[in-house]
Amino acid sequence: MAIIPIYIAPIALISPLGNDLEDHKIALAKNLSGIATQPKVGFGDENWPQAKINTLPEKNRFDHLLNIGLDKIAEKFESSLLEHESTLVIISSTKGNLDLLPLNPFDGIFEMVKTKWNLKHQPILISNACISGVVAIQKAADYLRFQKFHQVIVLGIDVLSDFVTYGFQSLFALSDEPCKPYDHNRKGINLGEAFGAVLLTKDANQSNIVFHQAITSNDANHISGPSRTGEGLYRSIRKLFEVTGVKASDIAFISAHGTATLYNDDMESQAFHRSELTNTPTFSLKGYFGHTLGAAGVIETIASLFCLQDGIAYKSLGFEEEGTTCAMHICRENTKTTSKFALKTASGFGGGNAALLMEIKS
Amino acid sequence: MHIPFCYINPYTIKSSSGYTFQLQEEESDFKTHYKALEIEYPKFYKMDRLSKMAFIALNHLTQEIEFDQFEDDEIHMIFGNTSASTFVDQLFSESYSLQKSPSPSLFVYTLPNILTGELAIFKKWYGENCFYVCESFDPILFADQIAFAFQKGAKGVLCGWVESIGNKHEALMFFVKNPVSELEIIELYNNLEK
Repeated sequence: MAIIPIYIAPIALISPLGNDLEDHKIALAKNLSGIATQPKVGFGDENWPQAKINTLPEKNRFDHLLNIGLDKIAEKFESSLLEHESTLVIISSTKGNLDLLPLNPFDGIFEMVKTKWNLKHQPILISNACISGVVAIQKAADYLRFQKFHQVIVLGIDVLSDFVTYGFQSLFALSDEPCKPYDHNRKGINLGEAFGAVLLTKDANQSNIVFHQAITSNDANHISGPSRTGEGLYRSIRKLFEVTGVKASDIAFISAHGTATLYNDDMESQAFHRSELTNTPTFSLKGYFGHTLGAAGVIETIASLFCLQDGIAYKSLGFEEEGTTCAMHICRENTKTTSKFALKTASGFGGGNAALLMEIKS
Repeated sequence: MHIPFCYINPYTIKSSSGYTFQLQEEESDFKTHYKALEIEYPKFYKMDRLSKMAFIALNHLTQEIEFDQFEDDEIHMIFGNTSASTFVDQLFSESYSLQKSPSPSLFVYTLPNILTGELAIFKKWYGENCFYVCESFDPILFADQIAFAFQKGAKGVLCGWVESIGNKHEALMFFVKNPVSELEIIELYNNLEK
């Protein structure tokens, strides 16, 4: 079976680092962080560093951010394209609008999207913990390859909330300092909020970056702890290389998950070691955006697209001293890359792991 | 086409193998359902309702399906509902707003895809899985995702529609070894005699 080429392009990105793609490209290249100490946001009024979008109101942040994000998408596309028979919308969110509790936090999302646009197809909503964004991109490609769609818009969104902050605090997973992925002294995560959108299309005029494939694999190990051996992530990468024919030595960089928890980062180091990616330049974007849950896979894929365009791998913010189970090549500075393939990975609660491969065409 | 299934609500378990189990009174923790399985799996007691129902349904499907004939990554899972994890979300929210002590054991279940993780752990399945939140039961989504899974090399697809809202808990789980049409899924769903 001939594989139809699928192209991927960034559409929109909203985070503490800016409101559009260009803002982010500049901020990321300058290694600016969106993380700042937020006073008294903890359950016991602790100050936690978070990547907070200060322009959002305190109530219904989710709806506000989604609204602004949908308008950004509308700036890029005619409504005739968005509302076309050949267009599908896939949404990635782990928690939706928690201000709606005790009502369903996902209740308003379909309504909001369908109020903006008269879509021909029901939007699809994926809630698969921290790998949601990468899975949403994978599903978008499936719809293009196996069905009659011509373009799929994937959007990822999650916002800060007491609910999620208290939850990670109760798991002792938060860091009281800006997070330090893969560092010897890493203490845990910083939460963040963001909206990101990408286009997957069969139209080669839309982008010079090809989406090859994404593979997911479960750890089959623990619902909230990563595998000790990196099994699921390793299997995702191995299968990704198998089906695409790409080798570890072809990879320019890994935009990894890197939450800066002790166990996650160790797990990734093992999976990359087993995949012969020990010497591949690797970075986490959590030091820039914090952990944005359902948005993470989408916004980190956008940042990886910037890297491919600029021929660099970003500095992994927060990293100083090696401290993972297996050795890794963590980028201490923005690093020039020599090949055209980008590997994006994600791992999350529920044992999910995902690996995604993209290539820039010259 | 015969589609092996299991249907569960607080009073009933029913499966395509002919098994039925009835309770006189509603049971929201599914303990009696679990005991009827005669399986030792203490993790069951820690699970949220979505995971409990999925666990019980899967174990009934094993009456009809030899899951061991598949490699550990050949079964894909496609699950969905309308309410995500709202029920546990509310319990976790109360743990900090009312009981003044955020509960980590509740927090980890505030993600609907935890249930696919639970099934993967129980069966040692490393295959692909995804959880969808839908406005209502969506046979088109299931038919499409099943077709994609087989295109990508799955040998079997375990599907579930698992809901827990207020006092309404129900689960439909079914297993297919070939693509099925949207109409076949609608027929299965409509003929459940809930």
